[in-house]
Amino acid sequence: MALLICGAIAALFRAEGDAIAPVIDALRRHGLLCLGLAAVATAILVARRRSLERARFARSWLAAVPIRPAASRGEALLIETAPASAALVVVAILSLVAALVLAQRADIFAVWANLSGGVLMGAIVSYLVPPPKPVELPPGSRYVPHRKVRSAAPIRPSLAALGRWPILQLFAWAQPKAVARATIPILVMMPLGTMADTAMVVIALFAVAGALLLSWSAALSVSRVAMRWLAPLPVRAGAIIHAFLLPSCAFIVGSSAMAALLLAAFNVSLRSAVEVGAGAALLGCLLFAAALLWNVRPWGRR
Amino acid sequence: MGQAVSGSILEIRGLRAGYGRRTVLENISITLAARDWFVLLGPNGCGKSTLLDCVVSRLLPSGGEILIDGFSLRKDPHEAKRRLGYACAPDVLPALLTARQCLEVHAASKEQSGVGADLLALAEELQFTPYLESFVDTLSLGTRQKLAVLLALVGDPLLIVLDEAFNGLDPASALILKRHLRTRIETRGGALLLATHSLDIVEHYADSAGVLIDGKLRQVWPKSELQRLRAEQADFEAALAAAIVGT
Repeated sequence: MALLICGAIAALFRAEGDAIAPVIDALRRHGLLCLGLAAVATAILVARRRSLERARFARSWLAAVPIRPAASRGEALLIETAPASAALVVVAILSLVAALVLAQRADIFAVWANLSGGVLMGAIVSYLVPPPKPVELPPGSRYVPHRKVRSAAPIRPSLAALGRWPILQLFAWAQPKAVARATIPILVMMPLGTMADTAMVVIALFAVAGALLLSWSAALSVSRVAMRWLAPLPVRAGAIIHAFLLPSCAFIVGSSAMAALLLAAFNVSLRSAVEVGAGAALLGCLLFAAALLWNVRPWGRR
Repeated sequence: MGQAVSGSILEIRGLRAGYGRRTVLENISITLAARDWFVLLGPNGCGKSTLLDCVVSRLLPSGGEILIDGFSLRKDPHEAKRRLGYACAPDVLPALLTARQCLEVHAASKEQSGVGADLLALAEELQFTPYLESFVDTLSLGTRQKLAVLLALVGDPLLIVLDEAFNGLDPASALILKRHLRTRIETRGGALLLATHSLDIVEHYADSAGVLIDGKLRQVWPKSELQRLRAEQADFEAALAAAIVGT
C-alpha cells in the first residue's frame, strides 16, 4: 500500500514536474519563513494535543493502572508528539520521492531540512511554553440562535423545528473558536499589499463556501440522526422531506446566490459567477434531496 | 384513540430479528391485552432492546409479525404507529432542539391539535415545565429521560413502549411516573411494554413479566403467577435468578 502511494506521488511529480519546480524554488528561497511557519504550526498542534490527551487520560479506564514513571513519560511523549512525527515522516517521504524523480536535489534537500528543522523546533518549543488549558467544548446549543418563547405559551403542533434543525447544527459547528482558526490561514495566504476591500471579499467568499459545505453536511447528518428519533412516529416520509428540504434548500440557494454575488464583486465575469452559483445551488439541493430520500426509506436499519 | 379497548393491544407472533447474519431474537411471541403492563427482564445483551426496536419499527425483523391494535407494523405502519408511544433513549433525542420543539414535532406527527392537559399536568408534577425552553443538550440525564417519557405519551397512545425509562430518574419522579403509567393504562385501556432490570416494578406494578435469555423468551410469569408470588411475599430476585440459572 505504502509503495503504491509512493508510486502515485512519483507519477504525479513526474507529470507535474514543470509546475512543481517553481514551488520548490520558492520554498527554498523563503526557507526561513517555511521553518518559522512549520515551527509555529507544530508547537500549536503538539501543545493542543498534549492538553487534550492529558485531559482524556485523566478520565480513561487506564488512569488507575500502575505504570513505571519512565515508561509512562516515554509513552506520553510518543502520543503527544504524534502530529510532529507524522509531519516528519510525510515531509521525508515527499522529499525522497521528489529527489528521485526531479532534478533539483540540492533545493529539495534544503526544503526538507528547513521543514523538518521547523517541525522539530516546534515540538521542543511546545514543551517550553505553559500547557494550554484543557479544551472543554461547550454544548453546541450555546451558539445557536433561539427565539424566546413565553413559558406559558401553548404548545402548537408543528414540524417546522425539523427544518430549522440543520441550520442550528451549522451554527453549533461553526463555533467562534473554529471560525477564528479557519480565518487565520486565509489571512496568511493573502499576499502582502492586498487591499482591504479585496481581503474582505476573499474572506466573505471563504465564509460563504464554508457555510455551504457545512450546511450540506449538517443537513445530511441531521436527517440521519432525525430518522433514528422519528422512526417510531406515524409521520409520513413526504411530510419529513417537506419539513427538512425547503428550509435547507432555501439556505443552500441563498448561500449560492451570495457566492455568485461575491464572485462578481471579485471581478469574475457575471456569466461565470452565475454559473458557479447556480451549479452550487443545484448540486447542493440535489445531493441533499438524494441523501434525505435514502435516510427516510421506510424500514431503516440501525 | 382515548377510548377503552378490550382486544389485544400488542401481538408479536414468531418474531425473528438480528443484525446482518447474527440472529438476536428467535421465535418470540407475546400478546398484551388491554390494561396489561408487561415487563421484559433479562441479562445484558439478551435482546431486550432489539425486541423493542422491532416493536417500534426501528429495526426490520427478518421474520414474524407484529400487530398493534390489530394493525400490522409491516403492512400498515402508519395506523400501527398512530397507536404507539415510545420513549427513546435520552441520547437519541435531538440535542439542538428545545423540549418544547420536541413536543411540537411529536404532536404534529401524531396529528394532534395540541398537547393534552393531563400530559402538561404530568410535566408539572415531574417538575419538567421550567425546562420546556431549554435545549436538549443542556438537560441532565434524568430530565432528558422525563422528556423521552413525556414524548412517548403525546397523543395518548394505546401501546406505550419504554426502554429502561426509569434510569437516571430521582426516586420521587420515578414513583410519580410509575403511578401515572399504572393509572393511565387502567383508565384508558392501553398496554405497556417495559424493558428493565428493576425488579420493584415486577413486584408492585406489572401484570406479567417475561425473561429473555439469548434471544429466546425462556420464562413468562402470567398475571396469576405474579399475584401468587406477591401473595407469598416471594423473593423476586431469587425467582429471577432461578429463571436465568435454570435455562
